[in-house]
Amino acid sequence: MIRGLWDRETVALLLLAALMPVALMWLWFGGIDAVARLALALVVSGAWHGVFMLARAQPPSLAGALAALAVAMLAPEDLGLFRLVLGISFGAVFGELVFGGWGRNVVNPATVTLAFLGFGFPAFPWPEFVAPVAWAAIPAAALGIALGVMPFGVVAGATAVAGLALAAGADLGPVLPVAGLVLVLLVCDPVASAATPLGRWLNGALYAALVLVFAAGWAGAAPVQVCVAAALLASLAAPLLDEAAIALWLQQRRRRHGRP
Amino acid sequence: MPARPSLWTTLTAPLLRENPVTLQILGICSALAVTTSLATALTMAASLTVVLTLAAGLISVIRHHIPDTIRLIVQIVIIASLVIVIDQVLQAWFFEISQALSVFVGLITTNCLVLGRTEAYARHNPPLPSMVDALGNALGYSLILVIIGALRELFGKGELMGLAVLPLADQGGWFTPLSLMLLAPSAFFLLGGLVWAIRTLRPEQAETPEHAPMGRGEPAE
Repeated sequence: MIRGLWDRETVALLLLAALMPVALMWLWFGGIDAVARLALALVVSGAWHGVFMLARAQPPSLAGALAALAVAMLAPEDLGLFRLVLGISFGAVFGELVFGGWGRNVVNPATVTLAFLGFGFPAFPWPEFVAPVAWAAIPAAALGIALGVMPFGVVAGATAVAGLALAAGADLGPVLPVAGLVLVLLVCDPVASAATPLGRWLNGALYAALVLVFAAGWAGAAPVQVCVAAALLASLAAPLLDEAAIALWLQQRRRRHGRP
Repeated sequence: MPARPSLWTTLTAPLLRENPVTLQILGICSALAVTTSLATALTMAASLTVVLTLAAGLISVIRHHIPDTIRLIVQIVIIASLVIVIDQVLQAWFFEISQALSVFVGLITTNCLVLGRTEAYARHNPPLPSMVDALGNALGYSLILVIIGALRELFGKGELMGLAVLPLADQGGWFTPLSLMLLAPSAFFLLGGLVWAIRTLRPEQAETPEHAPMGRGEPAE
């Protein structure tokens, strides 16, 4: 889409609007502490967008606020100012801005930040969420899909695999609500997730399957850690899944219509 | 044939302007693997410098006698012999560092940087320029290795060459080590940042983009 209402910032704004249930619920229960974290993440992320606007003439994007929200909610606790700033800077610059800004990045900058913080400072505790915040992921996903900014296939694929696993008797325990939150905040990013219909289903299914495997086999991992690792791997696999979906489609065409 | 550049240019060009690691992205494997501390990085750099310089000299001396069809085998035999000598020397006098470097000294044989210089330069030039060119390239490689090794050891352990530089938090200081720096990905990030920094300072090193970005019809940025 080149002209009209739908440009990049519209998508970013609608995504922000879709995430409002989660964000407001988290701010309500988190109090002043949560506000301070969010403000810090917004300032650092915004500063880097500003630097790249000045240095490379890259238009700043409201998507920086999306990443800041996800980082503020999911980053390990008690990190201190310096480590948090370092992690957000790393994610924003190496995850997104160096590729040319939102829309050209390969992985979600928030996922990069969280993986960096998780692997770099393994000693710090991961956050836990009260039930209402986790429930708010459902209206957020519904809003995102209805507004057309979150991929339906990803949510459906993840739900299908999780549903199958629960029906088969898997006990996810505290991981399940966090997995829903991370699905909405990180995996459903329209840029970093798969772009073909089949690829999206596979992407969501892969995320859910990875969460299941990690939850069962990764001893001593916190729920958020499990879900962030699954989100990172799922978004790294997204181009591969797209490639597979396109190859399948080409093969189908060749079978139906003969040589292309 | 253009006039051969002066020896000084041959020596200094590969340090920054034509650095084998940051411009040609050669020798990455060992640059990532041995840079967890400055001591191993220095040892690796010294080993590669010796091997590359001697190999270039030897190959250049017999360059008119190497049949083209088996030139790679001849070059690898020469390089491998030198690597074995270096490896034995390290094991004899620097056993601990040799253990830390594990297979990577042996893998100098297959380092694309070494074969690249002998194949591209030493095979066509007299011994002295060949050795100077090899020395320059090896020093360029060493420079990158030392920079990355120093950064990783400094921020990963708060030490340089095993001596405490930044006081650690658990010993009453203020510095909390970044354990990520000791993992392989951090070397990728540092190397990427270094390449980025050099290409920002010297834009002629940047590759031309493969795709023009789609836009609103404005000229591509």
